[in-house]
Amino acid sequence: MVLRLSIVCLGLAFGAGSSASDPQWNTRAAEHLLNRAGFGARPAEIEGAVALGREAFVDRLLAGFAPDYEPFYVERIDKPDRDELAAMDETARRETLNEIQRHDRRQLAQFAGWWVQQMLDGGHPLRERMTLFWHGYFTSSARDVKSSAAMIGQNELFRTQGLGHFGDLLRAIVRDPAMLAYLDNDQNRKGNPNENFAREVMELFTLGEGHYTEQDIKEAARALTGFVTRRGDADYVKGRHDSGKKTILGETKNFDADGFVALLLEQPACPKWLARKLLVYFEGREPSTARVDDYASFLKSRDYDVKAFLRKLFLDPKFYADDVVAARIAGPIDYLVGSSRRLAVEPPPAVLWLAAGQLGQRLLEPPSVKGWDGGQAWITTSTLMQRGNMAGMLLGVVKLEDVLKPEVLDDEPEAPESDGSMEPAMEPEADAARKKGDRKRPGMKGEFGQMGRMLDDGYSPAINLTVRCARLGVKSDGAIVDALADELLAVPLTSASRATLVEFLGSQRASLGIDDDALLGAREHSEPLLRRLAHLILSLPEAQLS
Amino acid sequence: MNSRSLDRRAFVTAASAFGGLALISSRAEGAVRVFASELGPVVDSPRVLLLVQLTGGNDGLSTIVPFGDDAYYAARPSLALAKKDVLAFDDYKGLHGSLVGLRKVFDGGKLAIVEGVGYPNPVRSHFKSYEIWHTADVRGRVAGEGWIGKLGDVAWSDGVDPNLVVHVGANVPYSLESKSHPAVAFVNPASYRWAGAKEDLDAYGKMGEDRAKDEKPIGEKDANLDYLRRVVADARASSQKIRAAVAHYTTTIEYPDDALGGALRDVAALANGGLGTRVLSVELSGFDTHTNQRNRHDQLMRQLDRALAALIADLERSDAGKNVVGLVFSEFGRRVKENGSRGTDHGVAAPVFVFGSRVKGGLYGKHPSLDDLDAGDLRHSVDFRSVYATLIERWIGVESAKVLGASYPTIPFLA
Repeated sequence: MVLRLSIVCLGLAFGAGSSASDPQWNTRAAEHLLNRAGFGARPAEIEGAVALGREAFVDRLLAGFAPDYEPFYVERIDKPDRDELAAMDETARRETLNEIQRHDRRQLAQFAGWWVQQMLDGGHPLRERMTLFWHGYFTSSARDVKSSAAMIGQNELFRTQGLGHFGDLLRAIVRDPAMLAYLDNDQNRKGNPNENFAREVMELFTLGEGHYTEQDIKEAARALTGFVTRRGDADYVKGRHDSGKKTILGETKNFDADGFVALLLEQPACPKWLARKLLVYFEGREPSTARVDDYASFLKSRDYDVKAFLRKLFLDPKFYADDVVAARIAGPIDYLVGSSRRLAVEPPPAVLWLAAGQLGQRLLEPPSVKGWDGGQAWITTSTLMQRGNMAGMLLGVVKLEDVLKPEVLDDEPEAPESDGSMEPAMEPEADAARKKGDRKRPGMKGEFGQMGRMLDDGYSPAINLTVRCARLGVKSDGAIVDALADELLAVPLTSASRATLVEFLGSQRASLGIDDDALLGAREHSEPLLRRLAHLILSLPEAQLS
Repeated sequence: MNSRSLDRRAFVTAASAFGGLALISSRAEGAVRVFASELGPVVDSPRVLLLVQLTGGNDGLSTIVPFGDDAYYAARPSLALAKKDVLAFDDYKGLHGSLVGLRKVFDGGKLAIVEGVGYPNPVRSHFKSYEIWHTADVRGRVAGEGWIGKLGDVAWSDGVDPNLVVHVGANVPYSLESKSHPAVAFVNPASYRWAGAKEDLDAYGKMGEDRAKDEKPIGEKDANLDYLRRVVADARASSQKIRAAVAHYTTTIEYPDDALGGALRDVAALANGGLGTRVLSVELSGFDTHTNQRNRHDQLMRQLDRALAALIADLERSDAGKNVVGLVFSEFGRRVKENGSRGTDHGVAAPVFVFGSRVKGGLYGKHPSLDDLDAGDLRHSVDFRSVYATLIERWIGVESAKVLGASYPTIPFLA
């Protein structure tokens, strides 16, 4: 809350009159920027941004409103090595490995909540936005990495370097423990290549399909040999590196990993690939070739400076065009964090993580190396209804256990993985549940702990929509609908939706025996009814756009 | 507003007017049916196609194992299955030893295995290769809708029931991408609903109605808004029926207690539910076995076998079930030679399975030779579009060239 206020104050201090000189910088533009560069905004934040003026506000955004943060404290539990495990008896080994796995899952859930909290707080929304962007770009999944410390470390890399130079990020990701494990490059060694990372680094991270050959992949894999992971840390073993000559993308050299990265950064396809990805992500539509080329040559001329790229974009009038503003289908995190911020509710952040997962965007577990498809792919008949249910939960009109628990319990019980080494067995209680026929995800105690607390505490949103509407001076059904829709939606209500909502509010009000324009005075009835109205508004097709 | 959206709107209105369990006829081609819980059993069940996607690239050589070939053991020192771990067809090859249930189905003549399936100039990217399989077009997504979407345009152009195409799972595959028959999807049927107050449901349902005539166009947003409205309408129309079909389904068959088992039980419920569903889709992922493949792949085979065997037994119990044909496929096979980490990298040709009561079981295609490789990869002998063409012509009964854009020879696994 303090952070949110500070933006407004800054706006008032510096901003007087500056918006007048820039007719395109208005609440619509500021809200759009805060939706795309951050995770939604309250009306006061939008007004503060307008008052500050576009350029000044963009620079504040790039620097962060309150950029300092306390990094998540990562507790490390060292896994016993093979010899130590072999020395234990069966029960002790099981218990030890189970404990490690439990700890790891708990820590992962806690970190996910911590991350969502950063998004909700809004101290440096763009930093968290870029962390999410890179998480979907240089994907790694906790399911494969199996180390919360490595996953958190990679996330922190995105947080600290996500607005820096792409080349630095790429060099860091090549030796990132989570990435080494996720794409098997820690298995890639001289004489025994593993091509997985070599392929994806060209296909998805730098060039795109069609800009390399199968032979390039084989040769690049050789250049990328030598890395290992040990107890969750990356290391480089010279003897595993293939130091011979390789011909990659037409150049012959004794390439090593950094030499190969430098070669990739020199390819004309590379800045185009990154520019297109960033434009699609922030604008929500396919950019023209000319626009990609323009931004690609800018990126190249600035040595792949991501912050400079974003500054250019946020000051570009085309970013504020009608077919960009609020034309994108928001992803689950955008929908949930954005709705929470617009409603000004403060749900336990781990609950938002679980909810987003159920809607198709489980942070720290992207579905594949390509990340999330986004756009219309977010929306199915099921996820669209579920979005409404999650909004109902935020508003306290739908019970948490009615929307979250069933699918979490049913969530994807993948075969417990075993690579032949000694893997922890399933938790006993999960085992029992499976026998009973529950389709339960094994061992998500950390998650249930968070949810359990929310259930025990009886989460109720600390909001008062009645007072909010009264302050806005609205009385009639139509005015109430318009006021709430304006606060909660990024697009204007369509006339059909407006008619449905006004009719709904009118008929429900009448059935409670309340006269026209008297709803806000009938306190015991007005708040539940306004929350149901807000629930319908957030279930609208319009509410999925931002 | 085109006539199709009028159809859909009328359909949805009718559905909600009757409170969900209405008398709704699905005018699906070749099967005009009427159902209602009071009117007795479903008559004349439609032919249903089930797609089972093995995501990540299933290793063909660990599925149909050439245990009689020394080259196999030379290429796979840590991964090769010993002869005793194979359910042999002959002296040369056999099914992975975990596929005991499917072997019984094969012996019963209800499982066709097409070997060496792929396409020319293979792409080893998961995503691009899936796009090719999903669109039946080497250009991938730029070619337009998924192949099931195109099939729907040809075969069920007047079908307006949103339950026509159903994906049980989280990620709807691109094969189901369609302008006119988008898939409905759910993970858990019990929570497949909008959970607002009862009195609010009517207002929720109205959100799916078409744009009002007087509404000002708002540019590019319209495409997304119209899409979202239609999804709301489909959700409203399908939610109650699907929950009811799954909740009321009873079976003596025990399915494995995992995600695939649960999804296939839902598949059986929907196939028997009289909802007019023509295409069902599920996914099993985890096949991208670059490291320590052996145990992981064994486990996946076991998981697949148990779930499919249960489904196949279950489908045999009813006429509606006997009208389901299933296709099991993956985006590519894997490299012949194992890599340095006891796994395999992306490869090319692989077998596909087709099962069902009406299937003419047996081995089709040609086991790819281990002596005649193309840069370390198997050569395909059957284009996957021949498999599609067979299903389109002999099962759904429409001209395959209209769906696939070209003619491909059919394979006699359907009479």
